[in-house]
Amino acid sequence: MLKGNQGLILCILIAIGAICFALFSGDPYYAQVVIWVFTNAALAVTLRFVLLIGELNIATAAFFGIGAYTTAVASTILGWPFFISLLAAPAIAGLISALFGWITLRTKGPYFLLISFAFTEIVRLIYTRTDALGGNSGMIGMFPPIELDTYFPAIAITILAAILFGLYAVERSNLGRVFKAIQNNEDIPRSVGLNVIGLKILCFVIASTAVGLAGGVHAYTNNVIAPADFTYFVAVLALAYVKIGGEGHIIGPIIGATILTIAGQFLHSFGPYENIFYGAIIIGALLLVPGGIVGLGERIKAGTLIGRAER
Amino acid sequence: MELQVQLLINTLQIGSVYVLFALGLTLIFGVMKIVNFAHGTFFTAAALVVSTVMSVSVETAGLPIWFSYLIAFTLALLIVCMIGFVVYFFGFQYVLKDLNGSFILSIGLLLLLNGTYLILYGGVPRSIPDVVPGNISLFGASLTIQRLLLIIVAAIITIGLYQLVHRTKLGLSLRAVAEDQEAAMLQGIPFRRVAFYGFLIGATLAACAGALMATVTPVTTVIGDDFLVKAFIIIIIGGLGSVLGAILGGLLIALIESFGGYYFDPSTATLAMFVLVVVLLIVRPQGILGHAER
Amino acid sequence: MSKKKIIGMTGGALLALFSAQTAFADEILKVGISAPMSGAAAAWGLGFEYAAEQAVEKINSEGGIKAGGETYMLELHSYDNKYNAAEGAKTAQTMLNRENINFIVGSIGTAPVKATQALSERKGAILFNTGWGKSIKGPKYPLTFTQMNTPFEILAPFYGYVKEQHPDAKTVAMITPNDATGQELEPVAVDTWADLNVEVITNDKYERGTTEFQSIATKIANSNADIVDFGASPPTDVGSMLKALDVLGWNGIKVVPAGTSAGTLSKMAGAAAEGTYLGASADFTGDSASDVQRELNTGAMEKLGEALNGITISSYDAVMALKKAIETADSVEPKEVAKVIPTIVFESSYGPAAFGGAEVYGNPQQILVPVMITQLRDGKAVEVGRIAPAELKERLK
Repeated sequence: MLKGNQGLILCILIAIGAICFALFSGDPYYAQVVIWVFTNAALAVTLRFVLLIGELNIATAAFFGIGAYTTAVASTILGWPFFISLLAAPAIAGLISALFGWITLRTKGPYFLLISFAFTEIVRLIYTRTDALGGNSGMIGMFPPIELDTYFPAIAITILAAILFGLYAVERSNLGRVFKAIQNNEDIPRSVGLNVIGLKILCFVIASTAVGLAGGVHAYTNNVIAPADFTYFVAVLALAYVKIGGEGHIIGPIIGATILTIAGQFLHSFGPYENIFYGAIIIGALLLVPGGIVGLGERIKAGTLIGRAER
Repeated sequence: MELQVQLLINTLQIGSVYVLFALGLTLIFGVMKIVNFAHGTFFTAAALVVSTVMSVSVETAGLPIWFSYLIAFTLALLIVCMIGFVVYFFGFQYVLKDLNGSFILSIGLLLLLNGTYLILYGGVPRSIPDVVPGNISLFGASLTIQRLLLIIVAAIITIGLYQLVHRTKLGLSLRAVAEDQEAAMLQGIPFRRVAFYGFLIGATLAACAGALMATVTPVTTVIGDDFLVKAFIIIIIGGLGSVLGAILGGLLIALIESFGGYYFDPSTATLAMFVLVVVLLIVRPQGILGHAER
Repeated sequence: MSKKKIIGMTGGALLALFSAQTAFADEILKVGISAPMSGAAAAWGLGFEYAAEQAVEKINSEGGIKAGGETYMLELHSYDNKYNAAEGAKTAQTMLNRENINFIVGSIGTAPVKATQALSERKGAILFNTGWGKSIKGPKYPLTFTQMNTPFEILAPFYGYVKEQHPDAKTVAMITPNDATGQELEPVAVDTWADLNVEVITNDKYERGTTEFQSIATKIANSNADIVDFGASPPTDVGSMLKALDVLGWNGIKVVPAGTSAGTLSKMAGAAAEGTYLGASADFTGDSASDVQRELNTGAMEKLGEALNGITISSYDAVMALKKAIETADSVEPKEVAKVIPTIVFESSYGPAAFGGAEVYGNPQQILVPVMITQLRDGKAVEVGRIAPAELKERLK
């Protein structure tokens, strides 16, 4: 695995490459696929970001949806311009996540998991029962302005890539190290006077704001959103991306998202086989390659490929 | 008054299946500390087996219905135990006590098994003929004899399980491991073996629930999913790992569904349940009867 | 690709190869369908695909479609939209941008249909859909056509018939699922009943996926309504509710406007389903069905184990309509074809049919086929009324 600045530069080049592809290729289908890859990568990375403090956060799906619906409302009901509608998404997602985090992050482990799960379902049920939000039919008509139409894929990819790099930057900073310390044993940072619960909330808000922005982009990408798009299953898929790519490094979820999104494109007509495929991959990755692809890479580097890696 | 009695009877009907299902889930969590999202697949498998075997033996072999049902029920339990064994041996035993890992594994299993069921069984719902036909009136409320039997059988199984957990040596081991695994091991309790038994018992309970459910609902490959979500709500409310809690929680949820569904509407009742869960998790995460986390 | 699709396409290709003399000069015309092929609604998607395959094979074996001096053989591509908007958007992208399909001969599911429509209208492709909302058609969406009857066509004649049979009925209890179809249907139903002087005294929604209907049944039974209207509830749910109602001793008029499968209903509820009126159940085995429909239905039963219904057979009708339209317009340009669709009369599975509905929707984008009213008698759906839309009668004169 490439470490240090080499890897970072490679990623920046790939991102620039993707943006150029979207700008110049002229093939709307492949540009869409690239957007989906980046969107799924964003979902996976924001999920993993909260894993840094040791919590499995199903509510990623909820805030993705909140971001998408905010943009949808801003753009179709309030008639706000494109960029303002997009920016409203992370703002609202961030605010709600701060409140939610403040209430719930006192709990841990399975309890937080189940609360975040219940929250996602509650939010989804609220969408289906609110006629102003289109109820079960969802909302339509989120189109970028005509002048920006051809540039939209590039804009989307730029924003999503910025999210990825931004989260990476935070992880590498001191703040990121503190988060990891909390995951390890939260009593230690507390003993040196850090406000642990405040930091947990901060981590959660950062991740939720990021995924909210991704949700806003998603609204403009698909032009249509509906409550069924934001069930807990979205978070489950994100988790699959993380597990397959590997939790150890931020590039892991990105790799996982890329592979599975592209594989998914070919599995569309397969119906039940698609579920079997995803299921098998998740189980296989968990049991055989617990560190994911990133872990595999590290093992190759360390020459310990044969033999189970430690969990 | 008649209406209230009817609603209460409805509660019992719905609740009995919920309780069986939740008991298995809470047992697995209590002993192995894992969140098994694939619990619904045991339920579904049992129901699928029952409906398939019944249609073969009744229509093809012409065996009497009650006899076919007994065969089907037994087969369902056996098959689910086999699935449980495979799943435990090749998967869960490696992720004992690992919350995230077991969660992910169970999700993978859920996808894999649901997809497989769809291929094997098809998308068309099938229901089985009444094992015991007819209706009965109880304190002014009416229900089918079938459902009355369901309540009785579920109650018997529940009491049986309670006795198992509180009166037998195995039950003692299960409780010891659930309360403090290290201390239990210090006492010489073989953790891995107890965990395995706990898992199988849990799966069998789900299978019973599924096999019973097949008598009153059309069977499709997705019936387990709706139950799963409610079951999690139940065990949270009752307390993760508590048998009595699962029983109380199951009845409470059934009560909300029955009365809430009547006085408001089913959608609202569902929403209310989720909100209740969130509130409870914040205020008293260990539920009504659970152990407080250290 | 699914096995079915490969067989269909190979069969079609072989037929095309062997039948046409100028086989090597034939063009391929791709047509697509977007429907749920997995999950709870899979039976619909698979039936839908089957009906479309049959239409495609029939056309190809008879020489394909001739337009603009070329002969076109149809090639069917089916996609699983999983009944949600996100997948609908993805499959739409694949169909329209990757495969460059210009004619979508069927789509199921209001949310995925809308997602598909957002793209198809922009790209200039024709979209046939089974969507029930009014908002899916109109001058803003000139290339969208609805391929089966919707509540706006069904409810007035259907409820009218029921009221005629039971003039003393004054109250109705409504129950419908809390999904897109249910939400579109419910307001129309309430208004239509009001026009007939029937009052809706309870009106409830339940979440799809519910298996226990006891509380709902109790509520309905307690309301003492004369009629129970199951709205857009699928046949298995209706069956469970009917059974529960029967246990409670309720015995009133049972009405299922979206009732699509009499067989399932009868199997689920047995005697409790006797006398139920179904509004979209088109019984394709009885005498009132056309030969074409009977043949299609038998084939579907053999292959899929499930009978066709008003929704699933509509892909056949769309393909037939498309053929006539392309030939009349003498072009495969979607905009040209779309202009011509409101003018044609074509052989649908019901017999001669056309597109109209300009008064209701603003544009003539609604298929005009008879509303079939059936009633369950002795476990079988018996047609008790077939009401052809007035507009269709005019056009066929």
